[in-house]
Amino acid sequence: MEAVKFEKVYFSYQADEEKDGVFSSEAAFSLNGVDFSVEEGEFVAVLGHNGSGKSTLARLMNGLLSPSGGKITMLGLDATNEKNLFEIRKQVGIVFQNPDNQMVASIVEDDIAFGPENVGIARAEIGERIAFALDAVGMSEFRRSTPSRLSGGQKQRIAIAGVLALKPRVMILDEATAMLDPRGRKEVMDVVLRLNREEKITVILITHFPEEAMLADRAIVMSRGDIVMQGKPEEVLSRGEELEKYSLTLPRAVKLCRDLKKGGLEVQDALTAEGVASEIENALKKQGADMQDLALTAKGNASAPLLVKKNEPADEKGRIYCENLHYVYNPASPFATHALDGVNLEINAGEFFGIIGHTGSGKSTFVQHLNALLKVPTAEKKYKEKRLKKGEIEPPKTVLKVDGYDLTDKNTDFKELRSKVGMVFQYPEYQLFAETVFEDVAFGLKNFSKEITEEETRRSVRDAMETVGLDYRTLAKRSPFELSGGQKRRVAIAGVIVTKPEILVLDEPAAGLDPLGKEEIMQLLHKIHKEWCKTVIIVSHDMDEIAENCSRAAIFSEGKILAVAEPKTLFEDTEKLENIGLDVPLTAKILSELLPLGLSIDCDFTSADFVKKFIDFAKTRGAGMRLPTKGGQKNA
Amino acid sequence: MRDVSFGQYYPANSFVHKCDPRMKILFLITYIVAVFMAKNFYALGACFGVFLLVAALSHVPIKSLLRSVRAVLFLLVFTAILNLFFHQGGTVLWSWKFIVITKEAVYSTLFLAARLFLLVLGSAILTLTTTPVSLTDGIESLLYPLKLIRLPVHELALIMSIALRFIPILTDETSRIMNAQKARGADFESGSLMQRVKAIIPILIPLIISAFRRADELGDAMDARCYSGSKVRTKYKKLTFTWRDLLAFLLCAGLLAGVIVLKIYTQSLI
Repeated sequence: MEAVKFEKVYFSYQADEEKDGVFSSEAAFSLNGVDFSVEEGEFVAVLGHNGSGKSTLARLMNGLLSPSGGKITMLGLDATNEKNLFEIRKQVGIVFQNPDNQMVASIVEDDIAFGPENVGIARAEIGERIAFALDAVGMSEFRRSTPSRLSGGQKQRIAIAGVLALKPRVMILDEATAMLDPRGRKEVMDVVLRLNREEKITVILITHFPEEAMLADRAIVMSRGDIVMQGKPEEVLSRGEELEKYSLTLPRAVKLCRDLKKGGLEVQDALTAEGVASEIENALKKQGADMQDLALTAKGNASAPLLVKKNEPADEKGRIYCENLHYVYNPASPFATHALDGVNLEINAGEFFGIIGHTGSGKSTFVQHLNALLKVPTAEKKYKEKRLKKGEIEPPKTVLKVDGYDLTDKNTDFKELRSKVGMVFQYPEYQLFAETVFEDVAFGLKNFSKEITEEETRRSVRDAMETVGLDYRTLAKRSPFELSGGQKRRVAIAGVIVTKPEILVLDEPAAGLDPLGKEEIMQLLHKIHKEWCKTVIIVSHDMDEIAENCSRAAIFSEGKILAVAEPKTLFEDTEKLENIGLDVPLTAKILSELLPLGLSIDCDFTSADFVKKFIDFAKTRGAGMRLPTKGGQKNA
Repeated sequence: MRDVSFGQYYPANSFVHKCDPRMKILFLITYIVAVFMAKNFYALGACFGVFLLVAALSHVPIKSLLRSVRAVLFLLVFTAILNLFFHQGGTVLWSWKFIVITKEAVYSTLFLAARLFLLVLGSAILTLTTTPVSLTDGIESLLYPLKLIRLPVHELALIMSIALRFIPILTDETSRIMNAQKARGADFESGSLMQRVKAIIPILIPLIISAFRRADELGDAMDARCYSGSKVRTKYKKLTFTWRDLLAFLLCAGLLAGVIVLKIYTQSLI
């Protein structure tokens, strides 16, 4: 039987619902006569840019929305008939994006019991179902935990368990991994795959990560309310130009293969690090390179870090110097936690710096010190020097200098400091509040300088908006809440850079955006960095992002800094990173796959350098190798 | 760690912690009644004895208990002082102009203070040994008979449960928004009262919008998990009485009986 069947389904928003949409995270967009079906047991991925209508699809499937025309049949039941909804919802579960907003109880087992309770399952069986569901997502030991103590990935697995407890035959995941870090994403995807393979649950995965869509049996691409592409994922996702037309991107691995191929290396598209590695191996072999000979490394001409701007060595502006920084949350209570435990770090003016680490590693605490949202004790107004007891050794002094300001001194002008050190938090769009975009962007400006003229304000706001790629004329007078998610984020960033800070700190600036949006945000940051911002610091979970963008990066772990180095050195030791549970960039993964063959290439782990080095290597070492075509070189 | 700092639950595995929340609520009610019925220090002493027993069984450190008193200390002192000055009649101990302090006033003030003290301590034991979640379960179960008069008991309990679930989330969100606005130069600590009230707007609006968004999404998630009111609904969690609760019940009954007996036989005693 077909699990899902859409026949000429139309959907459009009525005016009043549109207004409501202000709060509902741009959930639904119109559909223009969509036709498709999913067989039972299938795993289908639905891809599409923000606003393509893919979330509308999910909501139509279990009656959270009803179509304005057409026929929807779920497991043989007519989904447009109100009377069937209860039955459909029992069998068609849905997991949403934000794990926090789909749990009703403060204890895991109570939350999972919610669904079975609703359909009137007997008590003894509910207990069994909780056990089954938790086991299926590998969270059995968390049965009595409270969700607010869990990581994002764990919470989302609990949300899946909550749906599983109803024993559904179809499970829809509506961008369920969008808010998770790479580790959480992998946890969730592993669970989803297993449910499909072992429990034979039909899975409909709505996502904007091409890597996830690769795992499906079939991929569907949506754009502007229509299904525009459909087929095997490896086939759909290799049609690069077509994807681009629908604002989607190729998976990173495929892109790398394409670049290598353009350079003249005979590789086929591959989707995983292992796949790319074996493609490279085969290509080199095929082209006659002597594998024994490959052991020679191509050391020597490692490209210089591209992103460091020249600065006077003594330049205090834009520089961060930190020595022996400690921070304790809830001191002198049973819940005291040492968030920072002696951090030493120097970030020079001109750097594009990366900060890596798990939730709870201390990176957020550190970053909040940089503009005195958290202060060292000696900078507190009430601070009085403690007399040392006899025989007590003076503890080592904390030094914290940011942009020439001494942050250990309580007489420092912290407000002025904050205008020089801009801070963009995670999901900054959630801090928007003003009636118009103009007022919101101008908020910081007016706070920092009371006597600024109207004219100056207007000029600065216009500059900031244009920098982030928002049209001043059409958008300045609009309400920020009417804009799309990506635009809102730009408004929020404009609201920080409007004072032209010398140091800009961003916590996960690209989180939750689709791949294209991510790329755009990174380009924007490079532009700001190049034009006027001395130092940019990004906190990120995405190692590819760090490798591609940063001049140096620091790894935080348990309140300490584990390593500070250029990505080149940082990602050389993949094992060390994996031991503390961090990811490594795709390029590093491929290289470590190739290492057993004796092939090692000395590159800085950006994909551009990776491709270039391999092409160079193949050219000099690979006997009888075909020379790259003309166009290829440019790309490498 | 913020989720632990709301409410004042003290995690431990004591006799009192393990008691059924309904029993604990009933116990507290009886205790409060007893404290109010007590007309002299002997009866209060009996209540205090019971309190000491329960406190010892609960493994809650005295410091945590006293902290809950500190919160209402001002109220306690204020009421006591008012009582001291405005008590009418009796043997005059000291007087100055219109202020008269009598022996009876001193006695009744001490009595009042002791009574309030016992009330606060007793309630603190309940909240220190019971998680908000099981407290909600207990209240729901105790209110169950009110279903007969069409009180939506289940819905009320669900509302409470959701509120508890979202307190830590919204607390986190508030501090995140505050930090974000502070980073943009907002100042919540200085300025006139008017300015400070105005400074709250950039926190309040994003918070309200976020709460609505969350409510909207939660509503969808609940719908999708077949929530349809309480008609066919079953309940997974069942509270069960154990031997502990029987002991607690006996103690409870003993306390009430003791206070009543004392009330009858010691009327003349001071």
